[in-house]
Amino acid sequence: MGDFFSNLSLGFGVALSLQNLGLAFLGCLVGTLVGVLPGVGPIATIAMLLPITFGLDPTGALIMLAGIYYGAQYGGSTTAILVNIPGEATSVVTALDGHQMARQGRAGVALGIAAIGSFFAGTVATLVIAALGAPLTGLALIFGPTEYFSLMVMGLVFAVVLARGSILKAIAMILVGVLLSTVGTDLETGEERMTFGLPFLADGIDFAVLAMGIFGIAEIMRNLDHTEHRDVVRQAIGRLLPNKDDFKQSYKPVLRGTLIGAILGILPGNGAVLGPFASYTLEKKLAKDPRRFGRGAIEGVAGPESANNAGAQTSFIPLLTLGIPPNAVMALMVGAMTIHGIIPGPQVMTKNPTLFWGMIASMWVGNLMLLIINLPMVGLWVRLLKVPYRLLFPAILMFCCIGIYSINSLPTDVMFIGLFGFVGYMLIKFGFEPAPMLLGFVLGKLMEENLRRALIISRGDMMTFIDRPISAGLLAVAAILLVIALLPSIRKGRDEVFTE
Amino acid sequence: MSVLHEGSEPVRHRGPVRAPQSLAGGLLLIALAALALWLTRDLDQGTLNAMGPAMLPRWLAIGVGLSGLALLAAAFLKEGDLLERWSLRGPVFVIGAILAFAFTIRGYAFGSLVLPGLGLLVAGPLAIIIGGHATPEARLRDLVILALSLTPFCMVLFGDLLNLPIPVFPQALTGLFPADWSQKAVLRATAAIMAGAAVLVFLTTRGRRQASVDVADHSGRI
Repeated sequence: MGDFFSNLSLGFGVALSLQNLGLAFLGCLVGTLVGVLPGVGPIATIAMLLPITFGLDPTGALIMLAGIYYGAQYGGSTTAILVNIPGEATSVVTALDGHQMARQGRAGVALGIAAIGSFFAGTVATLVIAALGAPLTGLALIFGPTEYFSLMVMGLVFAVVLARGSILKAIAMILVGVLLSTVGTDLETGEERMTFGLPFLADGIDFAVLAMGIFGIAEIMRNLDHTEHRDVVRQAIGRLLPNKDDFKQSYKPVLRGTLIGAILGILPGNGAVLGPFASYTLEKKLAKDPRRFGRGAIEGVAGPESANNAGAQTSFIPLLTLGIPPNAVMALMVGAMTIHGIIPGPQVMTKNPTLFWGMIASMWVGNLMLLIINLPMVGLWVRLLKVPYRLLFPAILMFCCIGIYSINSLPTDVMFIGLFGFVGYMLIKFGFEPAPMLLGFVLGKLMEENLRRALIISRGDMMTFIDRPISAGLLAVAAILLVIALLPSIRKGRDEVFTE
Repeated sequence: MSVLHEGSEPVRHRGPVRAPQSLAGGLLLIALAALALWLTRDLDQGTLNAMGPAMLPRWLAIGVGLSGLALLAAAFLKEGDLLERWSLRGPVFVIGAILAFAFTIRGYAFGSLVLPGLGLLVAGPLAIIIGGHATPEARLRDLVILALSLTPFCMVLFGDLLNLPIPVFPQALTGLFPADWSQKAVLRATAAIMAGAAVLVFLTTRGRRQASVDVADHSGRI
């Protein structure tokens, strides 16, 4: 316990320095600014804003990146409430009741409770990370390559189960993702694989390029297909602070949402995405009058928003302790950390404690900033949302190009976002969901490395994955999940959750 | 907007294909798998004990191919989604804008044809104006103003304040300014000129646009 507090105070000592406070503020501000744009999710936001952190020292850069991440998350919720365009999967749920509240002239209260709920969830999640960080890092020490491989298999199975639509298509996407990750020079033999002899493919496909193409450019192409019909609230925003009744109705959903989100966020394989859905379903089940949901129930905003933010934050745990990114946003964080010379994993905490604890403390600072920035600036976000898409998307396009060019200074990277954008657009048109592919790509390299190592240790015996108890347990969980997801009755329920 | 496949036909096809979306998806996966198998054909697979470079890609490609076959089979057996509407305009202009940016930002050589590096000064407006035409509602005037105001903003932000290694303007441009000006001074002056031009375009074309709106309004009422 003493450790817990001394670590946190070390962290706050770092995070509360004037420079780092300023960076957290700036990160939250620009993150929200970009994240609020319709059709720009957190992944595209981070990829676009990554270059602005290049000139900073690693701690400052990570603090700013975390700020951008939370800002983008919160910006997405703002768009969901005010325009009914969810920027990403996790704010779909917020749009249901949040937008209805906005139409009833209660947009301010919806935004307020979202910010307050998120802040509370963020505070709890920060404590959870601080408390679990050290013990889980210990776990990393007993994990060998066999266990790592099985854990990642489990993560990918989670991603399949959590993806929308056909399970077969999700599995295919994961395989394609892992296949894409094998492009480039083979680490052990040095032979080039599937590079078409092109020198810039020898290092493999850059993750930021793939993510920007699939989530930034493809999204623009898809939005252009639908004639624009943006339903920006015309009603007054109304007061921002929820009143006593609102608080009374929403404090329990906030507590439950935080708990659900925090637990699901730790799971590898993008468990965080499930948090808002689970919280919404739970609140609806518990409500005295479930018919209010979908018609502007405040619980339907408070619960899922808290779950969303708690999950967004606890998904740092697998990354910081085991070095495994649980979702695409975290994978982008890996890329960002590597650029600053930090390889995420258990060694960060021991080798670089100021950075590790500083970042955790700055998560809380970032959440506080969001509360301070967002509420007074709602008017600005509303005006930004009224800019027509025909002017927004060329600007987004140019920022994407500049962002991706400045990462490696390679014009070929810029061309590749165009190529991957088109591929992503085709995938969307054919009913494939790109998120599992990205996760497969992220984990692909790590999986291959660990698979090879595990098989060298066991002298080519595949049974090693079942002989070792932890690995066998993880694989069993994966198998059970897959079987459950394929059962007809559960499948129906799963479809309902996602269509709701 | 040009439409390749009409997705929202009122009457559904009564053919052997019952889920065109799965059919297309299956074919795409099979093509991808075939490409990967062909690319790894010369590589060594190795053994489980000492895996070669081709082991994983090859097995993954087989997995992708099998998923593709399963989707293909499903397309004939199970009723499914139709293909959505496609439009070529969006992707063509967006990709065109990206390519224009990529070719002009640092200079590019196509064999004997060499494009000089023109920097953000040219690449930014090109991307905005070409990309902007991806929607049929595009208006050149608005795009020009956007390009002239956003580009200097980015030049100052990325080139001046953040010091990113991004080429901002062609080297020839420095010749136009007094010799003792530093790169940064030239950058700021160029940005100021562009921003000024944006304001100028905005002010001079403002009246015309209102007039045209007015005309449309009148004709609408009559």
